Amino acid sequence: MSFASVSTVAVSLLVLGMFLLIFLNTNNLAKYLESQVQITVYMQDNANDKDLEAMSGKLKALPGVVSVKQVKKAEALNRFKERLGEQENLLSALGTENPFPNSFEVQVDVPERIKEIAPTIHQMPKVETAKFGQEVVEHLFSLTRILRFGGVVLVLFLSFATLFIISNTIRLTVFARRKEVVIMKYVGATDWFIRWPFLMEGMTLGFWGAVFAGAFVTIIYSMLLSKIYATLAFFPLLPTWPTMIYVDIFILFVGTAIGALGSFISLRKFLRV
Amino acid sequence: MLLMTDVSKTYPGGNVALKEVNIHIQPGEFVFVVGPSGAGKSTFIKMLFREVLPTTGTILVNGVDILALKPREIPYMRRQLGIIFQDYRLLPDRTVYDNVAFAMQVIETPYRKIKRRVLNVLDLVGLRRRANSYPNELSGGEQQRIAIARAIVNDPLLVIADEPTGNLDPETGMEIMQIFSEINENGTTIVMATHDKDIVDSMGKRVVAIEKGRIVRDERNGVYGYES
Repeated sequence: MSFASVSTVAVSLLVLGMFLLIFLNTNNLAKYLESQVQITVYMQDNANDKDLEAMSGKLKALPGVVSVKQVKKAEALNRFKERLGEQENLLSALGTENPFPNSFEVQVDVPERIKEIAPTIHQMPKVETAKFGQEVVEHLFSLTRILRFGGVVLVLFLSFATLFIISNTIRLTVFARRKEVVIMKYVGATDWFIRWPFLMEGMTLGFWGAVFAGAFVTIIYSMLLSKIYATLAFFPLLPTWPTMIYVDIFILFVGTAIGALGSFISLRKFLRV
Repeated sequence: MLLMTDVSKTYPGGNVALKEVNIHIQPGEFVFVVGPSGAGKSTFIKMLFREVLPTTGTILVNGVDILALKPREIPYMRRQLGIIFQDYRLLPDRTVYDNVAFAMQVIETPYRKIKRRVLNVLDLVGLRRRANSYPNELSGGEQQRIAIARAIVNDPLLVIADEPTGNLDPETGMEIMQIFSEINENGTTIVMATHDKDIVDSMGKRVVAIEKGRIVRDERNGVYGYES
C-alpha cells in the first residue's frame, strides 16, 4: 500500500464527498424553496373585524397549518407603496381609496398539503379567493424532484467509480502477490484465509484515503462557505457543522466498505485455482 | 490411494489431452509417469490436485471423489497432498524456514508445533543449517529440496511431483531422488512425471507411459523406454 494508491483513493473519495455536499445543499435549497410557498387568502370587502378574527382562528385550526399572518388593508397598501418606490405618486390617482383587500398569509408544514387545503379555505365564508401560484409550485416541485433524483444517481455513480479505482489499485497488490496466493491454494489454504489479509489491506487503504478526503472536503467546504456568505449572506447553505460530521462519517464508511469490496472483487480471479 | 476410471479430457478448442485413462495406484507405491512432450502427462498430474477437471470419468483420491467436492471442501482435499513443481515455486521474500512454515501456517497449525516440525523436515532434506537463507542464495538443487520440505511438512498421503529434476543437473537430480526414496520408504505414495531416463531406469519403480493421451504401458520395475 503506497502513498500513490492512498492518494488515488483519497482523490476519488474527495470528488464523491464534494458531490455529496452539492447534493445535500441542492436538497436543502429545494426544501427551503418549497417552504417559501404559501397560500394567500383574500377576504371579501364586507368582512368586518369580527369576521377576520374568526377567520384567523379557523385557518389556524386547519391540519398542517404552521402559521397564519394577517395582512390588513392598510399594510397591503404600504407594501405596495414600498414596491413602487419612486413611482409612488402613481398611487395618488386612487385618492384616499384603498383598493387592497384584507388578506391572510398561510404557511403549512408540508408543501404538498397546499393543494388539499387551498380549496377548503376557498369554501369558507367571506373568502374572495385562496391563491398559491399553482403553476409555479408545480414547476418547483418537478424541479426539486429532478434535482433530488439526479443527486442520488450522481452519488451512486461516483461510488461505483470509486469502487472501480480501489479495486484496480488492489488488483495491483494482489497481482504482485499472485504467486503467493497460488502457493497458498496448493498447500490447502481456505479462500477466507487467503482473503483476510487482502481485505484488511483494502479496508486500510480505503480508510486512510477517506481520512485525507474527509479532511480536505471539510476544509474546502468551510472556506467556500465563508466566501459565499461574504457576498450572499442569506443564501440557504448548510452550515459546516454538523453537516461535515455526517459527510465525513459517510466518506469513512464508504471508503472502508468499498476498500473491502474492491479487494474481494479483485481477488476473485486469483482464487479460481 | 488413487483410482481413475475412464478419464478423458478435451480442452476447449477440441484438443484431446487424455483419452479413457484407467489407473489404480496402491498406498505406498512410487509411480513414474513418462511420455513424450505433449502426450498428456501434465494434464494427468494436474488432475490429481484438481487444477484441471476431466471432461468425463471419475477420480478417487484416498476414497474421495474429488470431482464431487464443493468448492469449500477443495482446500481440505489438497491438505492431504504434497505438490512439487519443476520451477520450485518458492516465495523469494521469505527465508527457507518461513517458506516451509508457510504451508503449516496456512492450514492454521498451532505455532509451537510448527517450529519443531519444520526443523525436522529441514533435517530430512539436509538444509537445516540454511534455515535463515533466502531462496535466491541457494542452488537449484537446494531450492527444490526446500520445495520438497514444504510439500511433505503436513504429512501428505500422496506426493505429486511434476518434473522435479527438470531444471537440475544429473548429479543433483539423483540427490533429489534419494530424498524422494526416503519419503516413499516412510509410507508416502509418490506420483512423479519425468523426462529423466537415468532416474527412471536406476530406480526400478512402476512406470506408466502416456502417448497421445492414452496409457500405452504400465509396468512394475519398468524402464523409461524412450531415447533421452
